[in-house]
Amino acid sequence: MAQISDVEQPYMKQIDLTTLNLQQLYTLKQQLDQELSLFEESLTSLKLAQNKFLTSNETLQNIDSDSEGKDILVPLTGSMYVPGKLVDTNNVIIDIGTRYYVEKDIAAAKDYFQRKVKFVTEQMEKIQVLGLKKSKIRDTIVEIVEMKLSEENNSTRA
Amino acid sequence: MGEDIQRKLQLELDSFKTVQKELQKAISTRQQLDGQLNENEIVKKELDLLPADGKVFKSVGPVLIKTELVEAKQNVSKRMDYISKELKRVDDLIASLERKQDTHREGLQKLQHQFQQAQVKAALHA
Repeated sequence: MAQISDVEQPYMKQIDLTTLNLQQLYTLKQQLDQELSLFEESLTSLKLAQNKFLTSNETLQNIDSDSEGKDILVPLTGSMYVPGKLVDTNNVIIDIGTRYYVEKDIAAAKDYFQRKVKFVTEQMEKIQVLGLKKSKIRDTIVEIVEMKLSEENNSTRA
Repeated sequence: MGEDIQRKLQLELDSFKTVQKELQKAISTRQQLDGQLNENEIVKKELDLLPADGKVFKSVGPVLIKTELVEAKQNVSKRMDYISKELKRVDDLIASLERKQDTHREGLQKLQHQFQQAQVKAALHA
C-alpha cells in the first residue's frame, strides 16, 4: 500500500552530526532539500486528488432516483455537446485506477469517495509530519555548518 | 608520467559518470514501478470489496468493455506479480550499480592522489 511511515528501518543508525565534516554535511543538506521538495510536490498532487474526490462526492449529492429521465447535455468533446436523458440514476461507474471501472449504486459510490478522501487526507497528514521532522533536521545541519565555519575562521585567524 | 595519470583519471571519471547516469535511470524506473504496484494494490482492494455479481469494465482506448470480476482480479494479480518481479530485478540492478560506483569512486580517489603526488614531484624537480 502507498503507506508512508517513519518507523526506523533496521539499517538506520544514529549519527552525531557534529562528527561529520563540512562536505558530508553539505551532501546531507542537499539530500534533505531534495526530499523536502519531493514532499512539497506530493502534497500538491494529493491536494489535487483530494479535490477530485470531493467534487465527485458533491456531484453525487445531486443524483437520486428522482433524476431519472431528466435532460442532460453529454459532452462529446470539451466544447461540443449533444442532448440526452438520464437513464438508471441509481448506479454510477467509477474509475478505480489502472483503466478499470466498476459500477456502484449511489450509496456505495458515496462510501467509495468518502473512503478515498479519508485515505488521501491521512497520507497528507503523514507527509506533513515527516516534512516537519526533516526540516528540523535540515535547520540543525545549517546551524552546525555555521558553527563549524566560524570555528574554522577563528582558528585560521588565531 | 603526469600526462599518463591525467589520461587515466579522465577515463576513470568518464566511467564513473556513466555508471552514475545508469544508476539514476534505474532509480527512476524503480520509482515508476513502485507507483504502479501501489496503484494496482489499490485497485485490487477495490475489486475485493465488490459483490460477486459486481459489474466491472475495462477501458480500452475510448470504450469501456465489460469484464468478469474474476477475470479482472486475476489480471490485476498477474500484473502485480509481474511488477514485483521487475522491482526485484531493478533492485538488484541498483545494488550492482552502486557497487560499481563505489569501485570507480575509490579508483578516482587513488588516481587523484597519484596525480597530486606527481605534481608535487614535478614541482620539486623544477
